[in-house]
Amino acid sequence: MFTYDGDTPQDARRTIRSRAHLVLSNPDMVHSGILPHHPRWAKLFENLKYVVIDELHAYRGVFGSHLANVLRRLRRICRHYGSNPVFICSSATIANPRELAERLTEQPFELVEKSGAPRGEKFFVFVNPPVVNQQLGIRRSYLSETRRIAAEFLKRNLQLIVFARSRLTTEILTTYLKEDFEGEPGMPERIRGYRGGYLPLRRREIEKGLRDSVVRAVVSTNALELGIDIGALDVSVMAGYPGTIASTWQRAGRAGRRASRSAAVMVASSAPLDQFVVKNPSYFFDASPEHALIDPDNLHILVDHLKCAAFELPMSTNEAFGRHDVQEILGVLAEQGLVHLSSRPGPSESEGSRAGPFGPAGEWTWTSESYPADAVSLRSVSSDNFVIVDTTHETRVISETDFTSGPATLHPKAIYIVEGALYQVEQLDFEGRKAYVRQIDCDYYTDAITYNKVTPIDTFESGAEQAPPLLGDDARDGAAELARPVPGVRTHGEVHVVSRVVGFKKIKFYTNENVGSGELDLPEQQMHTTSYWLTVPASVMGALPFAPDDRRDGIVGLAYALKQIAQLLLMCDGHDIGIALDSGDTDVVAGAARGQRIFVYDNYPGGIGFSAPLYEMHDELLAKTRQLIADCECENGCPGCVGPAGNTGPLAKAAALRILNLLGQTKISTTDNTEDTEMEVL
Amino acid sequence: MAERLDEAASGAPLFANGTPARAPFVFFDLETTGLSGGAGTQAFLVGCAWCEDDGAFVTRQYVLTRYADERPLLDTVAGEFTRAGALVSFNGKSFDAPVLETRYLFHRLAWIGAGVPHVDVLHPARQFWKGESCSLVALERDVLGFHRIGDVAGFEIPERYFQFVRSGDARPLAAVLEHNRLDLLSLAALTSRLLHLARVGPGETRDAREALALGRVYARAGRDDCARAAFELAVERGMSDRFRNSDDVRDIRLGALRAFALSLRRAREYARAAVCWREILDTPGCPPLPAKDAAEALAIHHEHRARDLAAARAFALRIGQAGVPGMPGMNAAVRHRLARLDRKLETATARQPSLSWPSPSLPTSRPSSGSPTSAPRTSS
Repeated sequence: MFTYDGDTPQDARRTIRSRAHLVLSNPDMVHSGILPHHPRWAKLFENLKYVVIDELHAYRGVFGSHLANVLRRLRRICRHYGSNPVFICSSATIANPRELAERLTEQPFELVEKSGAPRGEKFFVFVNPPVVNQQLGIRRSYLSETRRIAAEFLKRNLQLIVFARSRLTTEILTTYLKEDFEGEPGMPERIRGYRGGYLPLRRREIEKGLRDSVVRAVVSTNALELGIDIGALDVSVMAGYPGTIASTWQRAGRAGRRASRSAAVMVASSAPLDQFVVKNPSYFFDASPEHALIDPDNLHILVDHLKCAAFELPMSTNEAFGRHDVQEILGVLAEQGLVHLSSRPGPSESEGSRAGPFGPAGEWTWTSESYPADAVSLRSVSSDNFVIVDTTHETRVISETDFTSGPATLHPKAIYIVEGALYQVEQLDFEGRKAYVRQIDCDYYTDAITYNKVTPIDTFESGAEQAPPLLGDDARDGAAELARPVPGVRTHGEVHVVSRVVGFKKIKFYTNENVGSGELDLPEQQMHTTSYWLTVPASVMGALPFAPDDRRDGIVGLAYALKQIAQLLLMCDGHDIGIALDSGDTDVVAGAARGQRIFVYDNYPGGIGFSAPLYEMHDELLAKTRQLIADCECENGCPGCVGPAGNTGPLAKAAALRILNLLGQTKISTTDNTEDTEMEVL
Repeated sequence: MAERLDEAASGAPLFANGTPARAPFVFFDLETTGLSGGAGTQAFLVGCAWCEDDGAFVTRQYVLTRYADERPLLDTVAGEFTRAGALVSFNGKSFDAPVLETRYLFHRLAWIGAGVPHVDVLHPARQFWKGESCSLVALERDVLGFHRIGDVAGFEIPERYFQFVRSGDARPLAAVLEHNRLDLLSLAALTSRLLHLARVGPGETRDAREALALGRVYARAGRDDCARAAFELAVERGMSDRFRNSDDVRDIRLGALRAFALSLRRAREYARAAVCWREILDTPGCPPLPAKDAAEALAIHHEHRARDLAAARAFALRIGQAGVPGMPGMNAAVRHRLARLDRKLETATARQPSLSWPSPSLPTSRPSSGSPTSAPRTSS
């Protein structure tokens, strides 16, 4: 058994290639180090019986879409060497482990979902810190609340782990708890911090301290969520919702692994997602966990891997790559000179190998000097990126970010965060793809104001097709104002997105208060991607008992909340999706007739597979959005629902709720009551 | 060239890490579709060359005109390699052989090269002729006096091949074939020079560098007498180069002196070795590391062989003064040596206060105050 990754010394590699029966590696190494050199691994590929993919749930979004293509290449190489390995995957709790495994590997799967491990009694507690400012909807700091709760357990001599969401908060909470509980100097430390960046020796020491119960509490980032043996603790406290149901269960599972009584406590922050979960515990306990979504056929990703595949083995003219016939794409690559269609030796070899029409026996061969895997990063869609250069002391590159999110995160004066350290962007060299930053001490972060214009290009599916044609003479449910035909409420399709970062807001940490803003002038970016959109029919807009400005505020607030819920349902990061409204002012008449559209688009060129599932989850999306807003205790909107009151108008919350109520009615009145049960929640 | 290769063939193991390389030699050189390696890098041209019995130099080039013909091409090349007593290449161990090996593995064919001794001329070339550049073209100009006219640049080669693949027009390949043929010819000529030098000895070397490199080749093979003769000549050639005050010439001279000193010590000619070490130490601008080694060797020599404790002490002090970057000059070993010498000197003085100990190896030249020669006088 050998580990083969970027750290494997060159002189050990030959031995490993010829001797290993079991190779531990990672997707990046398989992609750029193993598959392109498959002849050297011939022995392994010939005899390959099993491919094990651990932590399957991590392969979602862009990364998962890339991995699916890496696995297509892997299976292609295995076929070449005459093997057909069995895939074994393990996953944390997600809604669709089997579907994800099948999409990633394009193989049928058996699902084993029962845990045979003994389980003790477990208490699961959700804590929502009390509201301290009703008007602004500001709650007591969740970190102080976490400190208080952790102290209660420590006083009762229970061993615990505290999960924080960043390295910074990890350090803050460690400091708090050390202040409260550290024993006499010279005694072994009872409170420890734990995060990436600590030296391995220190980490091993802390892990051992936990197993030996010398360490009574550890404050950790997600670094201790998976894989590392720290024994069974009594309590797991989460400072903030971990972001997904899957990782919440993982973190809770760090307490009470043996058949003893244990507890897990989640302290909600004021972020909308946290607030939704803490107010709707049933979402967490009863509803199915999130879906992990991928789109292996994103054209940009597919083309990248097709190049790699052609480098590895010539493609035949009838070969599919994944589910797709890729001949057309190969034709385009041939025009770029990257591949060439050549003939195979047939029984009649009268004509030479001149370019021209060939029979089905031809092959696409790689005709470029380049090594395509080097140009493909599994973590992003395009390989273009910005690098972040720290100039605080000596000049050094500290990080990089993909091209698409560059302007929004690296504009001048933006706060850029690396490992909890805050940096301010001093200069953005757009052409040179560099951002120069300097370390700074401040209590806010920045949120770019992006002006997005989304234009639909092609509609894949629209809810209008499912609606009965007319209600005219059968206006049920007293929805008199909706007596006209209602156009499609949900749609998904291809869109053109033009975005320009026009300014930014300064947002205070923890409270999400808006503490300042600035204007920016940056070049615009364009992309084609896929999008889901919600159309609020003109009839609904017209039926709102508010002034036009307030109606508009309602739409803005609704979009804000919609994005939070979409993120929750899609199990994705905030920057994976973008949101945009129709710019109603450009074409008032058409806009008025068409209604108001809210786009939730995949924030990656070519799309990453969010729009179709979002279309399917339309009802759930609206129901949960309504729930988020309705259950919020604020008066006129807060960061936890439709956005901070200062951002949207005073009636945003009311208008947004009203719109959702009307849409609910629309839904009921325009469909065949097929989803009544879902709608009754409204 | 063929004659020389034939005469000197028995020296081939000297350049093949001791593997039993022998005639017939098959020179080979690839032209590839890229430099990155991996399954998508192909050898579209495999050039092979050898000398016939009648002295004719024959080049045979295999060109991949269709992707699908690679397997038969490799089969045929394997046939050429099978009859080789040694494969000879330029940088082939790092590039050409691995690329070919990958192609054989790709087709699930046995890689014949694994079992045939391989002489990679790049490695000795660096030792014998390292100039500004160690490319084949630079070597053939500097060592062989060849000049290519209208040669195709290496970086253009893959694109010329792709052009042929796409258009079917083979004309751009003509220059590539000629480039490959010239590479093979130069490779054979350089090989013959190396083997010839190894056969006839240092007398025909043209400068100190060649003589030093040749000595090292002999030394690695355990031929100490030949090596010593080569080092001695290298030192001599280095002396005549002395007026050329470049760092390069100086370093070669120091290297030759050091190699010569070590081989003399192995032959128990301690006094002559000491002269060489002394020479190193007295070289103006001598870098710290050789200076330290020389001072150390001299301290040992004077303490244990020449039994001149005062001189030994002076050289031991020089070890500490050498100032090798990253090494503490006056380290524990040096202090230990000094302490021991001081003890010995004390007893010696007590026993024999006459101070008339002859010190034949004590240098007489340059008795400046900073030189170690003054130290023994003051301390005794």
